[in-house]
Amino acid sequence: MTANFTLFLVAIFVGGIWYGWEWPYIAKLMPVYVAALPGLALGVIQLVREASGSEVRRAEQAEGIEMDETHKVSIDAKSELLRTLAFFGWFIGGAVGIWLLGIVIALPVLVFLYMLVEGGERIVPTLVMTACTYGVIWGLFEYTLQMRWPPGLLIGY
Amino acid sequence: MEISLIDAAAQGFLNILHLHVFLAMLVGVSIGTFTAVAPQGLGMPLVYAIMLPVVIRWEPVTGIALLIGASSVSAVCAAYLPVLFGIPGGAGSQATILDGYPMGQRGEARRALGASFMAGGMGALIGTFTLALAIPAARPLIYLMGSPELFVVVLWGLSMVAVLAGRRPLKGLIAAAFGLLLATIGQQEQSGIMRYVFDEPYLLDGISISIIALALFGIPAALDLALKRLGVDQQPAPLTGKLFDGVKDTLREWWLVVRCSFIGVWVGIVPGIGSQVVDWLAYGHAAQSSKDGGAAFGTGDVRGVIAPESANDAKDGGDLVTTLLLGFPQGVVTALFIVALLAWGYLPGPEMLKKSPELVYSVVWIQGISAIIGTMVGFVLANQLAKLAQVRYSIMVPIIFLFVLMGSFSVTRDAADLLTLVVFGIVGYFMRRFGYPRPAMILGLVLGSLMERYLYRSMASYGFSWLTRPAVVVLLLLAATSFFFAVRGRMKTMPKSAASGGPALAG
Repeated sequence: MTANFTLFLVAIFVGGIWYGWEWPYIAKLMPVYVAALPGLALGVIQLVREASGSEVRRAEQAEGIEMDETHKVSIDAKSELLRTLAFFGWFIGGAVGIWLLGIVIALPVLVFLYMLVEGGERIVPTLVMTACTYGVIWGLFEYTLQMRWPPGLLIGY
Repeated sequence: MEISLIDAAAQGFLNILHLHVFLAMLVGVSIGTFTAVAPQGLGMPLVYAIMLPVVIRWEPVTGIALLIGASSVSAVCAAYLPVLFGIPGGAGSQATILDGYPMGQRGEARRALGASFMAGGMGALIGTFTLALAIPAARPLIYLMGSPELFVVVLWGLSMVAVLAGRRPLKGLIAAAFGLLLATIGQQEQSGIMRYVFDEPYLLDGISISIIALALFGIPAALDLALKRLGVDQQPAPLTGKLFDGVKDTLREWWLVVRCSFIGVWVGIVPGIGSQVVDWLAYGHAAQSSKDGGAAFGTGDVRGVIAPESANDAKDGGDLVTTLLLGFPQGVVTALFIVALLAWGYLPGPEMLKKSPELVYSVVWIQGISAIIGTMVGFVLANQLAKLAQVRYSIMVPIIFLFVLMGSFSVTRDAADLLTLVVFGIVGYFMRRFGYPRPAMILGLVLGSLMERYLYRSMASYGFSWLTRPAVVVLLLLAATSFFFAVRGRMKTMPKSAASGGPALAG
């Protein structure tokens, strides 16, 4: 799987070089020569390391700090997969909801459904959070700050 | 006519004496406090990403008050999770767990928190004071720096990604190259040529860094909470003991606070060290320099709380030295701060110090005042804040959804913002899962546009002869030397770690 993601990045770098190759020098200096070509070279080295198994050995032996948080989950793989899929379902559903219904309707609905269905919360705190969400989106932004949110594709308001 | 630095400092102070600035600072302090205390420490990068689309519409001092208010206090209040739950409250407070949690378990949680607030507040003030002194000290040097020198400085900062990435230098550099490539999307400022636009009007101005940062940090943070379902099974340590005992401990160890604060400032200033090690460096120093040889460390010694907390809070002042005076960030938070400054029309670094020194001093004042307010908030609301640490994932995840979706949609209010968020949310998930450091990508993204700007100006003004300017040669040598020693240091430690069987600082 790691190699697949590295391959994805390598493909992006190849695309960046291919698309920008015909640009004048001033335009391609940064994207092609500074970013994509070195990125491609490093990506290929990384792919070779992953394919040969040396990446795993190096990771086990490496010393030093982690620049970023690392992926550490103490639940079994099946539960992790199910929870991850459910999470992205909610997240993408929220984004699609905003597109179709508009943010003023979609986000309170998302909060309400997530807390009730996924979180198993009781109805009272769920309704309170939903009302707070509506208060922030409509009361603060639309009413107080006069910042109009665009309507959804299906519902205007 | 240029104003003197004393006048600039006075003007900078007068600029923050407005009700809306103080209100923004208080809101920032509240957000920073909540962020530090909330389950798993949501992290300042996410908070900055959420606030960025909002504050760039405000006038600069008010926006700065919100941003700096949040980041300065988040470090002061970062000890709640380590002391009460034994989990890190974000980068820079991991070492606090070693002694903070044992103190909490033996009924001294309030003492540990009191020591943390006091040490954090003192550290933050020392960091701020250093920043204030660095401005006049650096000003003569700043006047020697033109676009070629600044290009080399930014290049130096970017080369340090390999060092910052610690255990994964190759992946760090790949992520940085990915960020650099993304930074070039849109119409090139200098030539007007469309790059990677694919006839999409949405891409003309490039992809918003706010949306990418929101996606990269917000989505994996929410997923983490949803996976671990925090707040359901956890039982905090009892909040007993006396806050004032911790204050007395800190005042008694004032010299340790000063030493560790300067370690924090140093870590903040020097490129390539990063916030992940500041607490461990201070902790190690405290243990090594103690008269008992550090025997009590790790068992609930209050010095093990004082040292990392003072260093962690002082680091913010050091971070701002390079951010404000040289214009290159030390991490994601300062990178996003630079994005905000650019959006307000300021070019951080020498140009900003020459043209708007009063704004630089406003940052210094806000940093200092926020640290004092944050320390007071910690003392007054200790009990209430401890309850915040127990907020369940089922409440936190929708809150993150709310701010991430709202924050990204507010950038241009185009449905394409949502698509960008989803795409980079998935990219962020895979980057975190497969060990590609997201901060490296954000650094590449922010530094990419600065690098191109400085490089273009250098080439336009001097052709290739800028490479022979004495200051450029010196800076290039310094950059190459520091990079060489950092890489050599890494190579030397590889066989040793293989023998010892694992990482030393990863915690």
